[in-house]
Amino acid sequence: MKDWSLKWVLICLLCFLPLAMYIHLISGQIEISYSSYFDSFFHFDSHNTNQVLVREFRLPRLFMAMIAGAGLSLSGMFMQTLFKNPLAGPYVLGINSGATLMIALSLLTGVQFFQSNFGLIGTALIGAFAAGLFMMLVAQRLKSQITLLLVGLMFGSFTSAFVSILESLAGAESLKSFTMWSMGSLEQVEFSQLGIILVVFSFGILGSFLLVKPLNMLVIGEKSAALLGLPIKSVRMFVLLLTALFAGLVTAFCGPIAFVGIAIPNLTRILFQTTNHRYLIIGNSFIGAIFLLLTDAFIQLLEGHLSIPLNALTSIIGAPFVVFLLMRKLR
Amino acid sequence: MIQLTKLIIGHQSELLRLENIMLSSGNVYALIGRNGIGKSTFIQTVSGMQKALGGDILLDGQSISGFMSKEIAETISLVDTRFEGVEYLKVKDYLALGRAPFTDAFGRLTPKDWQVVQDVASELAITHLLEKFTDQISDGERQLCSVGRAFVQETSVILLDEPTAFLDYMNRKLLLELLVRLAREKKKCIVLSTHDLDLCLDQSIPFLLAANGEINLHATLTKEEILLAMT
Repeated sequence: MKDWSLKWVLICLLCFLPLAMYIHLISGQIEISYSSYFDSFFHFDSHNTNQVLVREFRLPRLFMAMIAGAGLSLSGMFMQTLFKNPLAGPYVLGINSGATLMIALSLLTGVQFFQSNFGLIGTALIGAFAAGLFMMLVAQRLKSQITLLLVGLMFGSFTSAFVSILESLAGAESLKSFTMWSMGSLEQVEFSQLGIILVVFSFGILGSFLLVKPLNMLVIGEKSAALLGLPIKSVRMFVLLLTALFAGLVTAFCGPIAFVGIAIPNLTRILFQTTNHRYLIIGNSFIGAIFLLLTDAFIQLLEGHLSIPLNALTSIIGAPFVVFLLMRKLR
Repeated sequence: MIQLTKLIIGHQSELLRLENIMLSSGNVYALIGRNGIGKSTFIQTVSGMQKALGGDILLDGQSISGFMSKEIAETISLVDTRFEGVEYLKVKDYLALGRAPFTDAFGRLTPKDWQVVQDVASELAITHLLEKFTDQISDGERQLCSVGRAFVQETSVILLDEPTAFLDYMNRKLLLELLVRLAREKKKCIVLSTHDLDLCLDQSIPFLLAANGEINLHATLTKEEILLAMT
């Protein structure tokens, strides 16, 4: 009983990713020759402007687009399976808000520790995890899927009120850097930070594959899964931790990026027509990466004329898609 | 074989109690009683999901209170309320989830696991549904799939909470006949809660009658006796 159509979709995605990477690389404003790309890796010359451009801007941005796209999609997929709600996602359920609040606290209060890589990832992760835990507790007392989304929305408003207060108290310099961050961008990451980001991301991917069986069981509901011998409580914690890891990582370095986490997992399910998470994890990673590569490529293309915040563009594409999903599923 | 001794069930306060009941393999037992009397709680308790307030449940002589959740899943399966279907979940994958207690950490299915799925599907005559999505079949077909999943789990005890509730008359009749036949052929102990007195009487299924805070096993009961006990 093998599903060949699934394999074909996978192969298509596998071919499409390098193409999207290529499009992303060539859509920058300054034309860079292939040899510069090659040399920046193997014979790096810090006086060659093009090579510096590749190393400090093009490559970090390329990798961040892929990591952010894949990470947000995966964290959305986890939430949708865990809450058994196709409209769940790190953004609507306040996971991003949790991370944002913690980052606002660290950026706006100006404590040095929080500005380091570890500090930034750590605080965002804690904020995201705490928000996830809170939503989990609320979800257990609710029956309606819509109510949960409304609670997520309220939680978002609640935290953003605190963020506003923090903003009003902050100094001009830290306020500027926070505002820049909150617009969402893939350009902030430096080459030197890529290492740690890749390590954290790889751990997340590894953990995701360990969760394939529990996630596949959760599809039929927590109670049925428990009856099949699944230790629900620890699985719940593990899934939330991974959700927070991906959402926290991306939010820490790229700012809030809306709608990717809710739209891509749905798109993946529609394309793959399966609930098997072995395929959904791979699918979400690839489709999320491709989506953000192309979105960011579009932003790069327009950069000479106007600079669109990434968060704005993903919302413009994502919001109508979510409305479409609403009309299809929850009418 | 299940033995229930001095069992007291309920959430915080006592709902039902029973002295000593033996449920043997090869039989179907119909749990009957009025709404809210505690039939679901009884089923939840026997399935290990709900703690008993007192007494003991013995499976082939062993108390289930010492069982891990995985061990329970290998011996007792529960068809719980209504399965509504899940988008893009195929019937074959739904049935295969019944193998979860036996598969490895990644949930990979061996050819033997698939064979069990195939066998159960042909037993229940749902082979033609295997490639369909669970949200795109009828209520009756879906209920058969739920029962199928319990059989795929290959447990000696199968509990069903109102399995006939959403079915039309013919489907109720067919499902009940199927359960009686499979219990006999596969040596399963099947307990189902139901309000279909007439169908159970037709099949001469033994009753677990819940009334006046007690559960009692009756090998035979007439309709008059049941109605009298319930009022």
